[in-house]
Amino acid sequence: MFETSIKLALTLSQIGVVMGVVLLTVAVLTLLERKVLSWMQDRMGPMEVGPYGILQPVADGLKLFFKEDIIPAGANKIMFSLAPIIVLVPALIGFAVIPYGPNWTIDVMGVEFKPFVISDINIGVLYILAFTSIGAYGVILGGWASNSKYSLLGGLRSAAQLISYELNVGLAIVGVLLLAGSLSLVEITEAQAGGFWHWFAFDPLPFPQFIAFVVFLIASVAETNRVPFDLPEAESELVAGFFTEYSGMRFAFFFMAEYANMILVSCMSTVLFFGGWHAPLPFLQAPGGFAWVTGIFWFTAKVYFFLFFFFWIRATLPRLRYDQLMRFGWKVLLPIALGNIVVTSLFAYIFPNS
Amino acid sequence: MKLKKWIQSLIFFEILLGMRETLKHFLKYRPITLEYPHVKKPLPENYRGMLGLLRYDDETEKCVGCDLCEAACPSRVIRVVSAEVPGEPTKRFAKEYYMDMTRCLFCGLCVDACPVDALGMSQEFEWAVYDKRHLHLNKEQLLAIGDRAFPEREKRLEFQHPNVAYFNVSFKDIPEKEF
Repeated sequence: MFETSIKLALTLSQIGVVMGVVLLTVAVLTLLERKVLSWMQDRMGPMEVGPYGILQPVADGLKLFFKEDIIPAGANKIMFSLAPIIVLVPALIGFAVIPYGPNWTIDVMGVEFKPFVISDINIGVLYILAFTSIGAYGVILGGWASNSKYSLLGGLRSAAQLISYELNVGLAIVGVLLLAGSLSLVEITEAQAGGFWHWFAFDPLPFPQFIAFVVFLIASVAETNRVPFDLPEAESELVAGFFTEYSGMRFAFFFMAEYANMILVSCMSTVLFFGGWHAPLPFLQAPGGFAWVTGIFWFTAKVYFFLFFFFWIRATLPRLRYDQLMRFGWKVLLPIALGNIVVTSLFAYIFPNS
Repeated sequence: MKLKKWIQSLIFFEILLGMRETLKHFLKYRPITLEYPHVKKPLPENYRGMLGLLRYDDETEKCVGCDLCEAACPSRVIRVVSAEVPGEPTKRFAKEYYMDMTRCLFCGLCVDACPVDALGMSQEFEWAVYDKRHLHLNKEQLLAIGDRAFPEREKRLEFQHPNVAYFNVSFKDIPEKEF
């Protein structure tokens, strides 16, 4: 009983910390995205709230919190209020299996406790894929329940898009799974120990997964509904896509879910292809008991690099047309991902011990 | 040549070029934004802003109530009620002067039409109001705009051109003719 309660307290506090960091990152990202975008477009971005606009997320949050919550006439009320939750919860729940520091087990009063991963389950990748596809239901439901043609069109587009690109995400990961021999994100990260030449994206033997990484990155940009694949919320065509009719906190939920998904996808590409918490060069990793400091630092740095990449792409590329999107997903990315699986498994068979 | 193009499309060459361009702008951060309410763009000299009524340097109004501005106005912004100056039957002034600035298109024809330069266009343009009726201006408001927009005032006509003023019966207190 005592052990159970200790374990519960530890896990709950860990969940609290991870949730807090993720939600804080979401708040930071809303500002960071606007700043990075405007710097790339020779603008200044938010400058009014606080020095250099750094309090903008607080102002945005307050505004959304106190805004009137409107449910449009003719909307399906249950589905309408359920949709934001269905979108947000899977986006946040994925962080449960992301390892953000060394795989240590410490003993707290007779209870085994892993401080740097909430739960190291042996099907971590599958878990994340399953939950991110549940998020698509929320998008479709929100689009359908709003009783608005813009929302419905946005929801339909996103349904088609998510299904097409989830396939590519899944297939791009298979190569990594073949090399690591595990679905656990912790074990995948540990298989990439050493310098950056051991990361799966660059590891020369058996086969570098760089092509799979590019496929994964493109498909995950599409999965998070961001430019250039932001057809579900195409601002110039569909007002705001599936969340056109949402306001106040419900809108904030969709917004937070988008950013949480971005963070989750960045974490996944870090863990799967860029060696998770491992430093790019061995001497950059602190020895012994301080390894967790550099571990968390490198993990955060890599995740933020990918987040920056998302903004970078958004500032550079225009939106794809719908048929281009589908053709690119099914005729280009899918064959590449399949070919990568074949080649990787061949090489993994030829060089079994490298 | 074909091989080169093929390789370029394989590595997303054009997208990489675009990304290099955006990164260049990101690293060399030179915003062209003017932070408007704090920093204002310098306006051209002949900017046609808010209209105002002017005074002479002895605080008397320039307007003689001739109605020419009302006649020149293409959108019927101006309404003048003219009257005699009490005690001086040869002189008139604008007893009431109204401008409906909701209709004004800032063409400046009234300023051109005025024979005594009683109207002026200031550099003011921040005239957004919550109530449309706040744009129906009366004489006092227009004089106030003129006062704050043109602090340097002209002398009265008879002091500007004493030789001409000498022959004008309507001028009182004519200065000595200069020889």
